[in-house]
This record gives sequence, C-alpha cells and structure tokens, in this order.
Amino acid sequence: MENGTRASVSAAPDATVSRSVVARMAALVGARNCISDPSELGTYESDGLTSFRVTPGLVVLPASTEEVVAVVKLARENGLALVARGAGTGLSGGALPVSGCVVVALTRMKRILEVDLENGFLRVQPGVANLDVSKHLGPAGYYYAPDPSSQSVCTIGGNVSENSGGAHCLKYGFTANHVLGARVVLGDGAVVDLGGPVLDGPGYDLTGVLVGGEGMLGIVTEVILRMLRKPQATRTFFATFPSTDEAGNAVSRIIASGVVPAAIEMMDRLAMQAAVAATGLDWPDVGASLLMDVDGPLAEVEHTSRHSVELARAAGALEIRIPKDENERALMWKGRKSAFAAVGRISPNYIVQDGVIPRSAIAEVLHEIAELSKKAGLRVANVFHAGDGNLHPLVLYDARVPGQEKAAEELGGAILRLCLRLGGSITGEHGVGAEKVAYMGEMFGEADLETMHRVRCAFDPARRLNPGKVFPTPRLCGDLPGPYVPHPSELSGEATRG
Amino acid sequence: MTATAPAAVRAGTSADAILGVAPKEVFSPATIEEAAAVLEEKARAGACVGFVGGGTALGLGRPPRRLDAVLRTEHLTRIVEHAPSDQIIVVEAGITLAELQRAVGAHRQRLALDPPLPERRTIGGLLATNGFGARRTRYGSLRDLIIGVSLVRADGVPAKGGGKVVKNVAGFDLPKMMVGSLGTLGLVATVTFRLHPLPDSDITLVARARTARGVRELASAMRGAQLEPAAVAALLQGERFDVAIRFEGFPAGVAEQRDRLRQLVGQEPGSACDILSEAEARALWERHDALRTAGPLRAKLAFLPAALEALAEGPLANLMGALGEPSFVLYPTLGLGFVAGLPKDAALVAQAVESVRGSLAGTGGSLVLEEAPHDVRAHADPWGPPPASFELMRALKARLDPEGRLNPGRFVGGI
Repeated sequence: MENGTRASVSAAPDATVSRSVVARMAALVGARNCISDPSELGTYESDGLTSFRVTPGLVVLPASTEEVVAVVKLARENGLALVARGAGTGLSGGALPVSGCVVVALTRMKRILEVDLENGFLRVQPGVANLDVSKHLGPAGYYYAPDPSSQSVCTIGGNVSENSGGAHCLKYGFTANHVLGARVVLGDGAVVDLGGPVLDGPGYDLTGVLVGGEGMLGIVTEVILRMLRKPQATRTFFATFPSTDEAGNAVSRIIASGVVPAAIEMMDRLAMQAAVAATGLDWPDVGASLLMDVDGPLAEVEHTSRHSVELARAAGALEIRIPKDENERALMWKGRKSAFAAVGRISPNYIVQDGVIPRSAIAEVLHEIAELSKKAGLRVANVFHAGDGNLHPLVLYDARVPGQEKAAEELGGAILRLCLRLGGSITGEHGVGAEKVAYMGEMFGEADLETMHRVRCAFDPARRLNPGKVFPTPRLCGDLPGPYVPHPSELSGEATRG
Repeated sequence: MTATAPAAVRAGTSADAILGVAPKEVFSPATIEEAAAVLEEKARAGACVGFVGGGTALGLGRPPRRLDAVLRTEHLTRIVEHAPSDQIIVVEAGITLAELQRAVGAHRQRLALDPPLPERRTIGGLLATNGFGARRTRYGSLRDLIIGVSLVRADGVPAKGGGKVVKNVAGFDLPKMMVGSLGTLGLVATVTFRLHPLPDSDITLVARARTARGVRELASAMRGAQLEPAAVAALLQGERFDVAIRFEGFPAGVAEQRDRLRQLVGQEPGSACDILSEAEARALWERHDALRTAGPLRAKLAFLPAALEALAEGPLANLMGALGEPSFVLYPTLGLGFVAGLPKDAALVAQAVESVRGSLAGTGGSLVLEEAPHDVRAHADPWGPPPASFELMRALKARLDPEGRLNPGRFVGGI
C-alpha cells in the first residue's frame, strides 16, 4: 500500500523495555527471535493499515505454546502490554502495537500439526498461511473455505482474531463458521483449550466468542479448522454492465431467484481500470462488472450458472464471458483479488474502506457514494462482495496535495455513516482494530459496548492483550464478585444450592 | 416517555416448575421493555430468575439452586422486521419457529433450522438450547444462522450485539455467546437471522445399513462422491438402520444427486436405496422427530464420526441394553446422536452413562442427558464433567451475571 505517509496516529514518545527484560525474553525465545534494535522494530510498527504506526518496545517470535506462556508471564511480571500478530496484513490496525508493548509475532509457528480427513478437521499453528491450508488439503480433495484476498500471506491466527471473510463467505460463511476450537494463552499465562473437533461440547460457545475477538481475548497458539470436501463442479462467469445500477439489479435478481452464489463480486469502472492496469486483463472500459461463482453438484451448477447468466442478461448485461478453462478462470479472479493493490497504479495514495449495507440498497448506496465523492473532489473506486452487501470503497488521493489526506479520511467516514444509516455495519471483514474505534459508539450504544467489555474482562481482566482496540474509550474491568455469599433463604433452609 | 406498564404476574404453581423447583411468581411481559423492567426489579430484590419459552426443554440441566421468578416469553412474539430482499429477519424471542417459517415462507424463504416440535419451540428457547434438526447436515447450526441478538442482562439493562447484515465483524460476538447458554447470561429479547431461499425441489431417499459402521461408510461414500445432501439421519429400526437422505435444490441437481446416490448404494451387494413419495418422506421425518423427542430418558451424544463403531458396539450398546424400547437417531456426518428409552434400573443406566462418557472423554466427546427421570439424575449429572475451559465459562458468567441470579446452578458444572 502506498499511503504510508499518513500519520493520523502519532505515537506517544516510545517507551522502552528495560535491558534486563529484553535479556530475559531473549533467553526464553532465543536471541535471534527477540528483536529490540530500534532499526529492526520498524518492521512491526504497523500492519496493513500503514497510516497508523507505533513502535513496540520489543518483538518476540516464539516457537511453541510453552514459549508464548513464558513470554506472557514475563510481560505480566513487568506490567507490559502484549500485542499478538500474524503476517500483518490486517487493514484495521488490529495488530498495531501500543507504545512499549511486547509484540508476539506468531509467524514461526507455522506447522500443520494434524490432518484428520475421516473426521473432517485439521489442527494448525497460528502462523500457517491461509492458502497453505487449502494447498495442503488439495491433493486429498478437500479445502478450507474462508478466502480473504490476502490469503497467500495472511495467517490463520490473524484470520481467527479478525474473523476474516473473503469472496466466498456468502455461501460458506466466515472464519467463525470454520473454526472448531483453539488453544489460547490468556493474559495471565494460563493455557486453555476452547472447543475441539467434536461438536456441541457442553457449556458456552467460547470458540465463537474468541473468533473475531481482535486479539484481545487470548493469544491463539493452535487452531482446529473444519475442512470441506471440494465441490464437484464450479462455474464462473464475468459480466459487464453499462453502470452499477444494472449490475446491482442483476445481483438482486439472481439472489431473489433462489440461487446461492458461492461468490458474487462487483467492480465499478475505476476499479476495473485499476485491475486492467495492474494485470493486463482485456476487460472493457465499462460502468461495472460482476464476477460470479456457483459451485456444487454438477447438474445443480449447470442449472444455476445458466439461469444466473440469463438473469444478468435480462438486467442489462453488455457482455457475458465464460472462462474456457481453469487458467482463464484463475485470471479473472486474479483481476478481482488484485483490485486493492491495483488501485496504487492509478493513484499515489488510497484508503481501503470496509462497510456493509443491506444487499438491496446497493444501487442507492453507490449513487450516494458518487455524490459524496463529487463533493469531496476525490475519486472512489468500488470493489465489493455484492452478495452480502460488503463494500470496499477505495478512496483515492494524493498525500502531496495539502488537505487531500484529511478529505479522504472524512470521505471514508461519511461512507461508514451511510452504511450505519441504512442499518449496516462499519466493518464486514477487516475488523474494528485501531482504525474504527471512533465509529463503534455510532453503531453500538453504551450498554452494548459495556456488555462486550464484560466479555473481554472475563478473558483478560488485566486488559493486557492488545489494548486500545475495538472500544472507543478505555474501560476498567473491576473486580469479580467475591466468594459466594448464601442468600438468607438458603441459610434458613427455604432454598438449597445443589 | 411514558412509564413502562407492569408486566402481567401471577403466583407460580407446580406446573411452572423447572426441574422440580417451582417459582414464587410468573411474569408474562407484553413487551421487551416490560421484561427489562421485571429483570431490573428482580435485580433490586436479589431474586433468582428463570426463562421459559415453549417449555419443551425444561428437562435439560440440573435443578436451579433457587427460583424466585419465571419470566415467560409467550407474549414476545412479534416479527420486528423481515426484509425479504436482504434475506434477514428480526423476531422477538417468544415467537415459535413454525410461525416464523410461515411468515418467511410466504416469500419463498425459510430459516434453515428444522428441530422437532416447531409449533411449540420458540426462537429464544432454540437459541438457549442450541436446538437443531437434520438439516444441520448442510446448513450448520444456529450459530451459523444467527447474525444479531438483543438481550436483557441480569441487571435489567438491554444490550445488543451483531447486526442486521449477514457480514459483520464489529464488536465481540454476543450472538454466538448466547447460543446454548440456557438462560444463564441474560434474557434473549430479539434474534436476527439470515434466511435461505426455499428449494424448488426436495426428495428423501432411504438406504439400509446393518451396522453403525455401515452408516458411517455410506456417509463417507457420499462425501467421496461429492454429493451434498441437505440432511442425513440414521434411525435405528430393530437390528438395522434406516438412513434417511434428503436432497434439496433445483430439480436438475436434485434428480442427478438422487441417481448418483442410488448408483453408489447399488454397488454394495444386497443393498438398495428407495425413493420415498412425499407422504412416505413426511412419515419418515415425523418418525425422526418423534425419536428426537422420545423419553423418558434421552441422551445427546457428541463424538468424532470415526469413533462411531467403537462407541456403538461398546459402551453405547450397554446403555441401550439398560433401556426399555431403546431408540437411536444418528447424524453420521456431524458426529451427533440421540439415544432414548425407558430406564430399567436407574443405577445401571447411570453407570452406563458414565461408561459412555469415559469412552468419549479422550477425544472431547460428550453425553448430555436432555431428559432423565429423577432416579437416574440422582446417580448421574446431566452434563457430565465440565470442559477444559470451565474456569473461563465461570468467569464469563460472573461478568454477565455477577450475583448468579439467572437460572442459578442449572447449567454445566453448576453455573
């Protein structure tokens, strides 16, 4: 990303970690895996949201759960905050360090520990790259469904923390729907296994709470993933439209017809131009396009793809392209998945937004975004998961022009508020992180946030893990109630506690 | 603003009892605001509260340690919002599943959740107990369908999580937190779901399997053949299993899968796979639902699919042997099953239950007694040993309900 010159968060004067703590950390994980040299710490001062930068006090790269436990305990003894991190591809500043914290980079823990085809699960370390899971399972005919655009790099641990989505989550769900369990190290160093490969363990669904916990609930050191059998067939088509109105209408018709697309992605003219510039694809210069996958049993997808193509035509498609082989299909998807980075070709700087609207409001929202864009004097490229209303407007600007950066941020904010006004969400898959804390209070009320904070306090009462994320204002946890005090009616024998 | 009207209240009777513990008062609020007012008042009074929806799962769990009041959701039955083109619905917790399905069915949609007793079971109750039916095979469970929740906390404060859009990662996942929490974290006030289109075509076939191993092999073969059944459930019938397999979707896909399944099954010597008429299919799924609600003892089993034979031939056979008229429903793709029957000797049954639990412990499996006569409960805890994460569960409970007043003691490990 090219927007590294923005500095909307200015770090507090960097706190340093004492030399003795550095030495002890180095003894725990090995000197090579303990980074304290200021010139090397720079690598870890941001994630994919490069406009937010804070230099950590120290970075450790543990190799095992035991090492993570030792690191957490040492940090705790010294009152240091901990920020877990995977590949750093997150786009919301979820892995943004806090000043003087210990960054726990889990990238060395990248082993696939167990593959159980018979029972449909695998156990992996958090540093395994998302795509490597599917690559590993591929030869046996299985795959892992969530597919964020950064899947060749982003890690499973990061996916768990952010509840990552991807193009195919309309039909298959998000990370949360594919994580069966996890081993986590809590903020006090305790190791806890949540869930497991067997469904419906008695008790609360703590795995469901952990996923999307933005690294504030525990440090994930193992993950149990559900694998899926590859579908028998996949059919893809690419359709172009005069404008986003017709494209949005095609989406509505397809969904209303009862087809559940595996993916249905929309790009507007600017996004297509960027993708063409980056990949050399021969896409025409038109108002909008859709890229759609259906998958499943052969006869089913033959029907649904044919039917969807008819509906796209009826909605005003200019041209329908059906890839003739897997190579052509992969190329189409490459065009779509490279769209974010491709925008760098047509603009010196840009902001990736991530908002969600009710699917049926697509056309209306795009008009409003166009209005906002005109008013701000900034171009907006739109790439989104149209099936579930997840927008990724890319606000283009030039940081060298005074005032543009601020205007771009304001435009991004206005788009999020538009999403909220329509009953949507401020984030569909990137997470709240550090970037969107200010908007949480607009989506949720005080009691909602306070309830979520209680969940955090249950996991991490010392608030040692990834502080400063998700919640708009700092909150204390308070003490847990003391030992149980019997109610007078129990003492009198009127009621009993079993 | 006008003050909230007080909720209707009456004295509790033995008919209102939860696992033998009768409440002093029973509230039937007409609105969520009234319900919140009741909970606020009970918080001030330090009173213990239980929640009742359709009352179909009142046999689940341990008896509450104390129960001052029951709050019934019978009047909280509104559809708050149904947006057919966005395929979402927001409902109050007391609406029955059947009523929800009728409303969305008019738009050729459904909630892809098909537990038994849809006319009686409420959405709040289903959420609290993680209820499910055979279509879980394809569509997942409630946690995969819920996208938003609003609750009323123990202190009477309303709070919400999730939202109204399918894709949303803002804030912690309160909706999933509530799934299966059995009224111990708060009152479920409203629930928001994603909906699915009603399929154009639906067919059920029945294959026979002589053993649990045969059931599992059939499930494996279907997976190998990339068939995508909407539901697979094996019902023990005498000495063999009837394996019900349902395909849904567009007619061409359903027909093709039907034919491929028959070919697949036909390859086994002496086996057959019958296509059921609509009436036969309905009867078979009704039989399935009846087994799922059978008693007076009913145990839910969760296990690794590959562990099925060892379980079925070993400790599970002992448990079934200790029951009169034993029944067994099995979901081979999910690793879940339900055993029901009439306990002959409470101590023997309890022993068999513990032995099943022992055999499942190593792989993280479980046996939960959904229903059990009092004398069996005297010998066996309905939940079994608490999970490895129990301390964290207790911490969660303590944060959400610090005084332990919601359904106290009824849940896992006495939470």
